Amino acid sequence: MPESVPTAAKPAPVVQVRDMDFRYGDKTALHGISLEVESHRVTALIGPSGCGKSTLLRCINRMNDRVAGARVSKGEILVKGKNIHDADVDLTQLRRQVGMVFQKSNPFPKTIYENVAYGLRVHGVKDKTSLDEAVERSLTQAALWDELKDRLNAHALGLSGGQQQRLCIARAIATMPDVLLMDEPCSALDPIATLKIEELITQLARNYTVVIVTHNMQQAVRVSDFTAFLHLGKLVEFAPTEELFTNPREKLTDSYLRGTFS
Amino acid sequence: MPSDSTTPPGSLGSKILRRGRRTVLGMDPQGLIKNFFGANSSIAIIVLVLIMVFLLREGAGFLSTYHHELEIYRKAGLEFCDIADTPLKQQQSMASALRRALSMELEPLVKNARERRDAAFLYKRALDEKSAEGAAVFENSLLFTPGEKNQIKSEIAALTPESIDLPPTLQKLAAEFTEKDREAKKTFRAIIEAEEIFEEATEPVAEILDELKTHATETKEAANEFHTLEVGRQQLLGAAASAHGAEKDEFLKEAELSRVDAPDYAARIETILEQRDDLSKALGEYAAAVEEAVKPLQSDGLSPEAAKLIASVQKALPTHLNHIQNAARNLKAWKWDEPVSFWRAVSSFAFGTGWITNSSWQDFYGVVPLLTGSLLISFVALLIATPISVTAAIYTNQFATDREKELIKPVIEFIQAIPSVVLGFIGIAVVGDLIKGVSQWEFLSWIPGFPIQERLNIFNAGCLLAFMAVPTMFSLSEDALNNVPRSYAEASDALGATKLQTVFRVIVPAAISGILSAILLGLGRVIGETMVVLLVAGNRIAIPDFGDGLGVIFQPAHTLTGIIAQELGEVSRGSSHWQALFMVGILLFVISLSVNWCARTIAKRFEHSKA
Repeated sequence: MPESVPTAAKPAPVVQVRDMDFRYGDKTALHGISLEVESHRVTALIGPSGCGKSTLLRCINRMNDRVAGARVSKGEILVKGKNIHDADVDLTQLRRQVGMVFQKSNPFPKTIYENVAYGLRVHGVKDKTSLDEAVERSLTQAALWDELKDRLNAHALGLSGGQQQRLCIARAIATMPDVLLMDEPCSALDPIATLKIEELITQLARNYTVVIVTHNMQQAVRVSDFTAFLHLGKLVEFAPTEELFTNPREKLTDSYLRGTFS
Repeated sequence: MPSDSTTPPGSLGSKILRRGRRTVLGMDPQGLIKNFFGANSSIAIIVLVLIMVFLLREGAGFLSTYHHELEIYRKAGLEFCDIADTPLKQQQSMASALRRALSMELEPLVKNARERRDAAFLYKRALDEKSAEGAAVFENSLLFTPGEKNQIKSEIAALTPESIDLPPTLQKLAAEFTEKDREAKKTFRAIIEAEEIFEEATEPVAEILDELKTHATETKEAANEFHTLEVGRQQLLGAAASAHGAEKDEFLKEAELSRVDAPDYAARIETILEQRDDLSKALGEYAAAVEEAVKPLQSDGLSPEAAKLIASVQKALPTHLNHIQNAARNLKAWKWDEPVSFWRAVSSFAFGTGWITNSSWQDFYGVVPLLTGSLLISFVALLIATPISVTAAIYTNQFATDREKELIKPVIEFIQAIPSVVLGFIGIAVVGDLIKGVSQWEFLSWIPGFPIQERLNIFNAGCLLAFMAVPTMFSLSEDALNNVPRSYAEASDALGATKLQTVFRVIVPAAISGILSAILLGLGRVIGETMVVLLVAGNRIAIPDFGDGLGVIFQPAHTLTGIIAQELGEVSRGSSHWQALFMVGILLFVISLSVNWCARTIAKRFEHSKA
């Protein structure tokens, strides 16, 4: 499978968040967030519970639209230079462009093949060969192909937890999204399965831009190129991971990393 | 619950405890309450077991009683008569088809002449009775030219009270009709002759059969009387065995007095068997005559309807002749003393096509007509209720706003509160007339079975049962959809699926076993429903005529539940009829049980896959 080689020159940011406020009804959850996600890099969002990191992640593919009363009240989000709240944005196309993997693995109660092919099917792909190709490519990229190629028609719910989560990743990348959002993808998995997913994330960055929410700081160190630290709905610090963890500029970041508050 | 042994402080049980350490029946109040609740829950199980035992006991008695009756049916020779009689019954439907074809053809030819004659005679009578209305009808009649009208008027006016002869024009009209009628009948002589032969050809057979039937019935009555007395005698002997002294002698004497000889089947059957050859010969002659009569029939020059009837007779003839031939063969092979197998009693209940009770000839308890009725009605109800309730559930669960949900759910669930007898009432008073009215609309006549004859029919009952099944099916389907994990919808949304795609590709498939089990539980409700079908299904005990195609659903039918409700109150306790009704009850029980079992199995699979 040919893999697209990332260009050597520094590419334009794929996701740009500009001075964004986000509200659930009357309650402001995010205050003036500005963030640029670089292409083909892994960006981690960390912070204590309730700091708004998941909310920020869900803003990028507008999953928050599902929540009544939730809205961006100021600022804007651009994906590949296009404001995602523009009137002419097709929500289904945006979500094809920005894939998502959830905290708890949630494969559909269908076969492995149908799970991976689902995204393509809902976008109108009917051709069997292109579906077959996409399934093989996605499973390969999700490091599942060798394990599962002989039982593509087995029921997805019969897989182990780690396999299910990787299947969800395969499902998300089957539509070739530009950005892959991951919402604490390892929080329900055992250490070995976590390790596999982490390896996978590093590999995925070759082909995709990854934004990952994690509560595990070691994980952020292991997988990400950039890290954003959020606290009480504000972006405290955003820097290359190594820099942020070894030499944080903000005192708040420092005390969080030391574990003196949580 | 206070029944729990680890009662939290402050609960009812501990309060009672604290008030005093009294014990009742060796139990402290806490234990008492616990056992009371436990006993209540086991009552349900005990009652269910008792019901099953009772049903089985009554039903088991049925098979041996029925077997005994079928044995007498054979020994007394009733079976012999039926072998010859049953195929002859087809003859009636063929003859009636011929009659209908004939009247269909004659009618247009003679209609005009007859109406002219009748109108003129009615006018004369109207004048005699001085009825202005009748006269006006004649004045406005389009059957006559103005000249003819004047002629008739003047002729009638010229009549004197003494004159006996009819006015010449009236006589002419009458003659015209007679002539037309004669001509028409000449044209269709073949049909008329065939019909006459059909009527007459059975007579020799029927004559022999009548004689045999009387004889057989007498034997049967003697056998039944003997059986009754014998049962009484056995009881007396039983009582004697446990009694002592004078009492015992008394019983024995009485038993001796009531002793009768069993009817001599062998001697009595001789009378019937003597006629065996005559009967076979008569049947053969009948077959030959009928075949000869149908041969010259032609559909040329007939109206399409009449041609169809004639064709149906011609088509039915080979099978009919075949049956007659078989009957003749069976008559030869028939043996009166061949034992009736027990399986025969079972099969003639389970596969018997006639539920014939209180008959002077022979009672048959064949459950097929009732089963067909029940199944057809349930099928129609399911066909109507499933789309309504499932789509309503999908809408309510997936698309409706909260306010709509608050309206839809209670309203649909309220349907359950309507007493079924009220629904039956509505079925008779409203739905029946509605269906019949609609079926008479010209542009709907392409629907098979339209226009319908009976207001009370399978479709009507099916509609009402569907209405009754909707709450069950809706609520359970809605639950099933509600049980689909939210994360499925979330994942589907995140992949860019539209709402409809999410609903139909993920949520409904994930809930499908729950929905199927909801449908099955709805079916269980429908099959067991009694009041509505009793009132609305039309209660005709016959297998509906599937020759109508889909129109079969507009025929009346009887049901398993309906027959029990209708007949159980009127039969004498312990009779074979009474026991047969219990067998029907067992059958219903088994059907409901298996439907529920299927529903549970499917639902269980659903829970498994959700994990």
